[in-house]
Amino acid sequence: MTELNLDPSLGTPELGSGEATKAADAPSSAWRLFWSKFSRNRFAVIGLIVLGFFILVALFARLIAPHDPTYIDYMFANLPAGSEGHLLGTDELGRDIFSRLVYSSQTSLMVGFSVAVAAVCIGSILGAISGYFGGIIDTIFMRIIDVMYSLPTLFINILVLAIFGSKFVYMILILSLTSWMGVARLVRGVFLQLREMQYVEAAKAIGVSNWGIIFRHLLRNASFPIIVNATLMVGGAILAESALSFLGLGIQAPMTSWGIMLSNAQEFMLVDPMQAVYPGLCILIVVLAVNFIGDGIRDAMDPRHKVMISRRRLDKWREEYYKSEI
Amino acid sequence: MTEYLVRRLLQSVLVLFLITLVAFGLIHAAPGGPTQIMLSPGLSPEALKVQAHNLGLDQPLHIQYIRWLGDMLKGDLGYTFKNNLPVGDILWPTVGNTLVLMAVAWLLSLIIAIPWGIYNSTSAYGISDQVASFVSYVGFAMPAFWFGILLQELFALKLNLLPLSDMWTMGEEGNIGNLILHLLMPVTVLSLGFLASYVKYSRSSMLEVLDQDYIRTARAKGVPERKVVFRHALRNALIPIITVLGLDLPILVGGATLTERVFNWPGMGRLFIEMALAREYSVLMAITIVTAVMVIIGNLVADILYAIVDPRVQLGRKGGRAA
Repeated sequence: MTELNLDPSLGTPELGSGEATKAADAPSSAWRLFWSKFSRNRFAVIGLIVLGFFILVALFARLIAPHDPTYIDYMFANLPAGSEGHLLGTDELGRDIFSRLVYSSQTSLMVGFSVAVAAVCIGSILGAISGYFGGIIDTIFMRIIDVMYSLPTLFINILVLAIFGSKFVYMILILSLTSWMGVARLVRGVFLQLREMQYVEAAKAIGVSNWGIIFRHLLRNASFPIIVNATLMVGGAILAESALSFLGLGIQAPMTSWGIMLSNAQEFMLVDPMQAVYPGLCILIVVLAVNFIGDGIRDAMDPRHKVMISRRRLDKWREEYYKSEI
Repeated sequence: MTEYLVRRLLQSVLVLFLITLVAFGLIHAAPGGPTQIMLSPGLSPEALKVQAHNLGLDQPLHIQYIRWLGDMLKGDLGYTFKNNLPVGDILWPTVGNTLVLMAVAWLLSLIIAIPWGIYNSTSAYGISDQVASFVSYVGFAMPAFWFGILLQELFALKLNLLPLSDMWTMGEEGNIGNLILHLLMPVTVLSLGFLASYVKYSRSSMLEVLDQDYIRTARAKGVPERKVVFRHALRNALIPIITVLGLDLPILVGGATLTERVFNWPGMGRLFIEMALAREYSVLMAITIVTAVMVIIGNLVADILYAIVDPRVQLGRKGGRAA
């Protein structure tokens, strides 16, 4: 519980590091405005704290976990929760469930963040090229995106992992290769809008190269929608990893993941039904936290978004207003 | 309209062609290629050559592709490596089973989600709206298969109310009541996922329409609120929902995969996983193509419906929604 209090200090610079430097030289502090809006969103702040908590757990898994998550001891198999030395009991091979949960957070967060980063890179580059150059390139890229969208992603992931073997790197690769389309469309849209702007024309006139314009002048206009999209992608990737591992095609044996734990738990449902509860709960909480953060960033960035006010508070204000009139 | 239809159809054919290329390319990019996978191990090099020749594996790639595509077009999906069964015989029954599951879950979620979303738009930020928002957050963040496992533990193992898995109880095949009992849990799991997005979507779509000038005009003229919502707003609000339904189809098929696995439902998704673990590539390719065809047809129908329902859509512009 003590870790909970530390978290905001961890969450803030993590999101802000890129933005804070920009805000420093901007005359009006856009970053501070953003932060003041973001921090007023209760769910987003809770999300940030929870995510920070899981990041800390993942970083210090070695210190937190009381046992080696891969240590097999048939003597102590299927211990119930609350057994001595095993907080949440042990699984069918005698591995400590709590320790496995702790180490699994490493896997999930690693997959989530690397997929999001890789997919954002692919998506931004393809979207930028498509939107900036337009014409035949644009048409080709958009058709490719159509194709990607009409493929059932899960099938493709399974197919690729079945063909090439289930390696961690392959899983990250294929997950990012099947989730960049949203970012690409978004960046393309921004570029289509902005490429006719006068500052682009001016940059061209003084001889800035196409790539210079794309990366220095245009791409940062799309940065916030990209961040929102990337945040939501982290959650999607964590879910996808758990699904693939559940099917036996994702993370493989010595490594552990919440998905693997769930597939074990389903087999031993009769012996210990609680085993199925913990890993799923962890996935749910992390993904919820990430999605709350993503929504919080979007709402804070969207000038049209009205702050959500509960009806009760609204009525109270109205009452006070009428009273003050009298 | 005809011109639009023709263009859209041609586009779908092109997309489908690209998908066949991807599927074919993937199999041939596998380490060792299909040669190693398809040929029986432990044969002498001469016998391997004969077998490769019989399977057409000694031909150049483009010839192999054209042959394979031709077979697909004729409806010949190939044979499994293991027992040399026709792929079609294995695949088609599972397609039907998946469609039953998907259709029930999808319709159910639509029947609940759209009226709920409409109601929430008329009382935004009320209790019902907050509940819906909670449901959609959880629905988006929860692994569907986990939800399935929890349901199994509760209703099948603990309370002993519902059958644990499968589509029929042994010996009861064809009994609708039995089917419904087996459907209850998987349908709940699947429809929660759809419900999550459809409630949110129909609500925001309605809110957007209710914010428009012509609605204010209608209200100002004294049209009763019920009529404003159902006659003036609803029609326009439903239009974008159609697109979402079309775009959701791949998720529909993919989402059913895990649910089928958890509940041992004899559908296409479960078959796909089994075949992926057994490395039956001809079945995998066939399923990929069949689902892609289903998805493309779905998108096509959604686009056409969209054009019919909304006269404002400019059919002349290239590609409609997607372009």
